[in-house]
Amino acid sequence: MPETVLPDRLRRALLMLPLAVVLGAGPVLAAPDATALLRAAFNNWRATSSATTMTMTIHRPDWERHSTMQSWTQGTDKALVRFTDPPGDAGNATLKIGNDTWVFNPKLNQVIKLPASMLAQSWMGSDFSYDDLAKSDDVLTLYTHRIIGTGQSGGHTVYTVEAVPKPGAPVVWGKLTAQVRDDGVFLGETYFDQGMQPVRTMTVDRLSQMGGRIYPAVLTMRPVSPAGQWTRVETTQASFDISLPAYTFTRSNLQNPRN
Amino acid sequence: MNAAWSLLMALAWRNLWRNPRRAAITAIVVAAGLFSVLTLDAMMQAWAQSSRDATLELLTGSGQIHAQGWLDDPVLDHRMPAPSPELSATLNAAPIGGWASRVTVPAVIQSEYKTLPLSLMGVDPASEARISTIPDMVVEGSYLTGPDDGEIVLGRHLLERLRTQLGRRVIVMAQAADGTLAQRGFVVAGVFAGNTAIEDGYAFTGQRTVQQMLGIGSDISEIAFRVPDNGQLGAAVTSLKAAAPELDVKPWTALSPMAAAMDSAMGSYVWIWLGIVFVLMAIGIVNTQLMAVFERVREFGLLMALGMKPRLILALVCVESALLVGLGVAVGFVASAALTWGLSGGVDLGGLAQGAEYFGGSRMLYPHFDMALSLREAALIWALGVLVALWPAARAARANPVEAMSHET
Repeated sequence: MPETVLPDRLRRALLMLPLAVVLGAGPVLAAPDATALLRAAFNNWRATSSATTMTMTIHRPDWERHSTMQSWTQGTDKALVRFTDPPGDAGNATLKIGNDTWVFNPKLNQVIKLPASMLAQSWMGSDFSYDDLAKSDDVLTLYTHRIIGTGQSGGHTVYTVEAVPKPGAPVVWGKLTAQVRDDGVFLGETYFDQGMQPVRTMTVDRLSQMGGRIYPAVLTMRPVSPAGQWTRVETTQASFDISLPAYTFTRSNLQNPRN
Repeated sequence: MNAAWSLLMALAWRNLWRNPRRAAITAIVVAAGLFSVLTLDAMMQAWAQSSRDATLELLTGSGQIHAQGWLDDPVLDHRMPAPSPELSATLNAAPIGGWASRVTVPAVIQSEYKTLPLSLMGVDPASEARISTIPDMVVEGSYLTGPDDGEIVLGRHLLERLRTQLGRRVIVMAQAADGTLAQRGFVVAGVFAGNTAIEDGYAFTGQRTVQQMLGIGSDISEIAFRVPDNGQLGAAVTSLKAAAPELDVKPWTALSPMAAAMDSAMGSYVWIWLGIVFVLMAIGIVNTQLMAVFERVREFGLLMALGMKPRLILALVCVESALLVGLGVAVGFVASAALTWGLSGGVDLGGLAQGAEYFGGSRMLYPHFDMALSLREAALIWALGVLVALWPAARAARANPVEAMSHET
């Protein structure tokens, strides 16, 4: 299903093209379904499975540090991230399966199961949380979506989708807004508190052709406060929709990497 | 004997005022000493009671019932079923004045900005109001409306730390009965103000809401009960233990050993202070009486020469001391009683309230004049005062009439 969404959307866009020409009204994807748009962006970003190499830059007003990591994801609920550099951090790994998260620290030689309460906390000192890391699809399941704005960028229509938590959903945010291109490419996201003040913003700084798709290769997360700090993740290599061995998302692989 | 007694009294009373200024100063020293002991005692008792009541009426109650093991490890596994008919009957009978069942679990509360640990407490607001003051401490919004209430009441300090506010949504996470993570969004319905530990430590919501969230049916984790007469607490605990032998019934002294220790320590402090005050007073009394005795060496010699027995001289000086100390004790007693009664409407600690809150006390103290205890302390001071006066009295009685008559003064 996730594999077919994008081609579907493209096919639909292509089918609409003559109509758009006839009407002479530019892009006539006037009212695409907000949820479908988000889902497309999500699937493009996450695919059915992925293996990526990333570098992370944590920037603070008085220091900056860089690290390199490898990550694997499968479906919406399995993710494994392992640091490879700097040597001090190498081997640190995080495994998420559904609601359960484990971290492995080679210095302690211990696997620790994280309480879910910590998933919203900073991951490895960055501005991302453990939840962000796992590319959790909460935004699809726990929110209602509508399109609140459209714009143009590089020949594409960019939709701004507003996601409001469903009543009673265990979500702290007041709302999220996401920028998604008409071809299902994710361009950014802003988190608002319940006073509708922005709390943090994720921007896509560069799109690259990668693993057979247009992928948000450089992502920056900036909290509104304190100002002047951000975390940038740059994906340097990626392959998608690959088949991963079954042992990838196991605690033994978390502790003793086989790849 | 009676004649000798009235003679002694007359002589003693007259001698007492031979030097009015000296007598008055000694009497004032005694009065001030006793006044400080009695007033401090009343304030200490008021303080102990206030801190005890503040602790107990906040959440603890006079005692609590748990499943075995809960007090050592307050997790969901150590929960208990809703009270049996037999236990309910005991809880509803005298001397228990009110009780409430609760579901308490360690939980984590999350806002947009912060994730903090606390205890989530599922309560029935109606019965909670009978044993806890927290429903009355709501300063913003309102308390819960019923056991099904799905909103949450948070402490003021916690609200600030979470950077959220009334009407906003927070997430509470806790481990459910089946071991999975239960999480639920709650709208903040009310804000209570108490001491910081309580404000940060507890969040309140409807009992059935928590039971559903955790999947524990009608199980609860504790019953808190209140016994209005502290003297009946032991009997209440015994009858509850008989009604629910499989459960762990504990009085507040076992649940809040700190409050119990404070309570008994207050009683000891006042006796220590009494000792210090007495030493100071004794110096004053001995000094005055020795002076008086030295001044009257000739007089004592004359009395003896006229046939007064040394025993009576001793008695005379002792009676003088008893009158002097007695006068001081009477003045101190009346002054302290008057002040304590005057303050019984409540003393506002004002600027000290924050410190008091830290120790679990409340901002108002209600001193109460304990007549029996005060009389005991006054009698002790008086008796000890007379006792130390034995030394000057003995010196007076030892006077040699011949030498004394030729003494300069």
